[in-house]
Amino acid sequence: MIWLQRYVRPEQVRELILLLLIVVAVIFFGALIENYYTERTFNRIASSVTVIAIMAVGQTLVVLTRNIDLSVGSIAGCTAYFVGTLLANNNDLHPLMAVLIAVGLGAGLGAINGVLVAFAGVPSIIVTLGTLAIFRGLLVDLSGAKTVTTDSLPLWLVDLPRLNFVTLGEFDIRALFIIAVAMVVIFQLATSYLKIGRQFYAVGSNPDAAILIGLPVRRVIFIAFVLSGALAGLAGFVTLARFGNITVEAARGMELAVVAAVVVGGVNIFGGSGTVVGALLGAVLIGILEQSLFRLQISEFWRDAVLGLLILLAVASDAVILQRLRALWARGELRHIAAPTPETDPGGHRT
Amino acid sequence: MSDREPAQSEPATASGSALSVPVLAIRNIAKRFGATQALEDVSLQLFPGEVHALLGENGAGKSTLIKIITGVYQPDRGEMQIDGKSVVIGSAAEAQRLGVAAIYQEPLLFPDLDVAENIFVSHQDRGEVMRWGKLHRDAEAILAELGVAIDVRSAARGLTLAAQQSVEIAKAISLKVRVLIMDEPTASLSAHEVAQLFRLVRDLRAKGVAILFVSHRMEEVFEIADKVTVFRDGRLISTRKRADATTRGAIADMVGREMGLLEPRPTTTRGEMLLSVEGLGREGKFRDVSFDLHRGEVLGFAGLIGAGRTDIGLALFGIEPATSGTIMLNGKPVVVKTPRQGMDLKIAYVSEDRRQFGLSMPQSISSNITLPILRRYLNRFGLIRGPQERATAEMFRKRLAIRTATVDLAVSKLSGGNQQKVMLSKWLNTKPDVLILDEPTRGVDVGAKAEVHAMIGELAAEGIGIILISSDLPEVLTMSDRVLVMREGRQMAIFDRADASQEAVMTAAMGQSLSQAIGGVVA
Repeated sequence: MIWLQRYVRPEQVRELILLLLIVVAVIFFGALIENYYTERTFNRIASSVTVIAIMAVGQTLVVLTRNIDLSVGSIAGCTAYFVGTLLANNNDLHPLMAVLIAVGLGAGLGAINGVLVAFAGVPSIIVTLGTLAIFRGLLVDLSGAKTVTTDSLPLWLVDLPRLNFVTLGEFDIRALFIIAVAMVVIFQLATSYLKIGRQFYAVGSNPDAAILIGLPVRRVIFIAFVLSGALAGLAGFVTLARFGNITVEAARGMELAVVAAVVVGGVNIFGGSGTVVGALLGAVLIGILEQSLFRLQISEFWRDAVLGLLILLAVASDAVILQRLRALWARGELRHIAAPTPETDPGGHRT
Repeated sequence: MSDREPAQSEPATASGSALSVPVLAIRNIAKRFGATQALEDVSLQLFPGEVHALLGENGAGKSTLIKIITGVYQPDRGEMQIDGKSVVIGSAAEAQRLGVAAIYQEPLLFPDLDVAENIFVSHQDRGEVMRWGKLHRDAEAILAELGVAIDVRSAARGLTLAAQQSVEIAKAISLKVRVLIMDEPTASLSAHEVAQLFRLVRDLRAKGVAILFVSHRMEEVFEIADKVTVFRDGRLISTRKRADATTRGAIADMVGREMGLLEPRPTTTRGEMLLSVEGLGREGKFRDVSFDLHRGEVLGFAGLIGAGRTDIGLALFGIEPATSGTIMLNGKPVVVKTPRQGMDLKIAYVSEDRRQFGLSMPQSISSNITLPILRRYLNRFGLIRGPQERATAEMFRKRLAIRTATVDLAVSKLSGGNQQKVMLSKWLNTKPDVLILDEPTRGVDVGAKAEVHAMIGELAAEGIGIILISSDLPEVLTMSDRVLVMREGRQMAIFDRADASQEAVMTAAMGQSLSQAIGGVVA
């Protein structure tokens, strides 16, 4: 136990538990569903995870600052639809340009959230609940409820979901999945090693202190929302590639899966702790659940109910488990420290 | 005599060295909030290697001054100079660049970040990329310099308050601080931790840092300060060298009148037995506590923070019920498992934590006062009778001299002392026989403190039995008829007033020999 305490932090224990849960879930569904361990299952889960994970990365940044972004589903839907329409009307548009437009549009919508939360001081849950409805409403109005269809899209986009990055034995790793992994790696490194990344943690951990010691709190929160929007835009592009047919309903309700991935992944809903990698693990677990429950022919509504249950369990267990783990670790540390220092503090405990 | 001329002594460093240029000079600063003139024409100079204490009642303008120096507020008039050069401190970040840092009563750490990151979080000069190895080494070096043993890789969450303050000081040092403001840094520390903190303060002073030290604890101010400045009503009343200052004089300047603060409360006649506690205990908190409380008696609970005094109060009122022992009230055994039962038995507990457990900050004074027995203020339709509620509040406003224009004001707008009076009113309104007061004067200014003390005396004279839990030893000793001393959950002794000297009580509280006890205690 002591060696574990020395090399692993309480927060990391959560991620290990999650990894274990993922393994258990795979074994459980493998026993329940015929032909589960196939390439087809893997690819379905991977493409589901791709979309959730990209948005979960952005959501993690927002939640770290003690905020929440409920508008990600609507942002993804908007970008999927508008970039889809653009490509349908203009098949020669460069693929990179299309991606950039998606990301830019998402960032722009995210900036609206960011301005309202960081500079106007409106609580993020209200702002993004509002923009969740407004962005979707604008989409329905501006699109005239028309549908983007696969046959109108350029070929490269239609083929994109099946584009392989690398083949490992029987399994093909798709390029889109690699985009998600790249986002996770980039943002994991950024939140660990960049000053601005650490400021996300500081702002969420103690907002009052962040202001008093002169951190650029508003700017940090604004950037978190812009990045969340940009990543939702990227996820919208992936959604467009994945489905081809885009209605005004695209990515509707995705915020549930994204928030679930983030909190199940161990990001504290009150800000300040959690990792991007954790959110990826959360997204993987949720992708597995979604696809497996789908295969078991469980209705969409029950699948959402399972997500809801996961959110509640994750947040509830977060408080209890982390508190226990921290207490355990603190006791371990006390033993470490108590030994070498002769002067221990008799009056150090508080009531 | 209430309005003497400001007795501003000539600038001179404590050490008498040639450093005659102040690090920080404040000239004719004024600040106004709405109708309140928070600061009026304040001039102050801080010299390197000097601890300058700031005294004043709550609302005297100390906090406003601190916020202006640290760039949180901008002054309406006046100027600030650093090293003789005029500066405008527009933000907290700018104050830091100029070498001005502040440490508050509640440390401002990031619980999720590790100790090293907390120390360097506000640094502007460490580049955009984190170098964790260097960060940890630098943090270790700074803590070693301070002589503090804290693991720089552990999260700030879970550090003791004293350790958190050490980290704050490390943070200030790492910023090459030249002016360090300490705003009531000792309010939540035990005596032992205060001694450690003062060691750090003396080290900083020796390194030439100018320290502005704000505290309500007079003994501490006179122990650590080189100069003492007193504020009253937004004005600087006096600045004196410590050698020329006296507690009595400083208090007189603070309140604008001479006050006998430490005169013992006249004893009241001890009435019939009210409360008798035998072998009381609660798992993991305290055990084997036995005492009697008579009508008209003040029983003091002394001991260090965490000795279990508050836990006894919580048990008697039923918030965290006792798990063993008996409680007899008026000769009959009673069971108290919930606060409701406690109230029905005419017991009241006034919490030490006004914000968390004491008051509903956004609600009005009158709603706060009537809250525990609100059902008595309902008409037959179950609606609150506003005029009756307000009449009660008005009655207490007069009786306890709560300073407010109207009882409809939100409690959050009151000063600490007046909040304490509202809390006291709230529980007096339940007409208790047994009143448990937990740290009733913590964070309260000198004037309000004296009023609370007078009130305790009056209540005892009316025949209420009072349990006074306080970490302020002079307060316990002057107010109590008898003093019960706790140490680490155990009852060490009960002293009659005649036998309760500071030395005797602290010896029992520390569980040490007499000489050690005096050495370790700031009293």
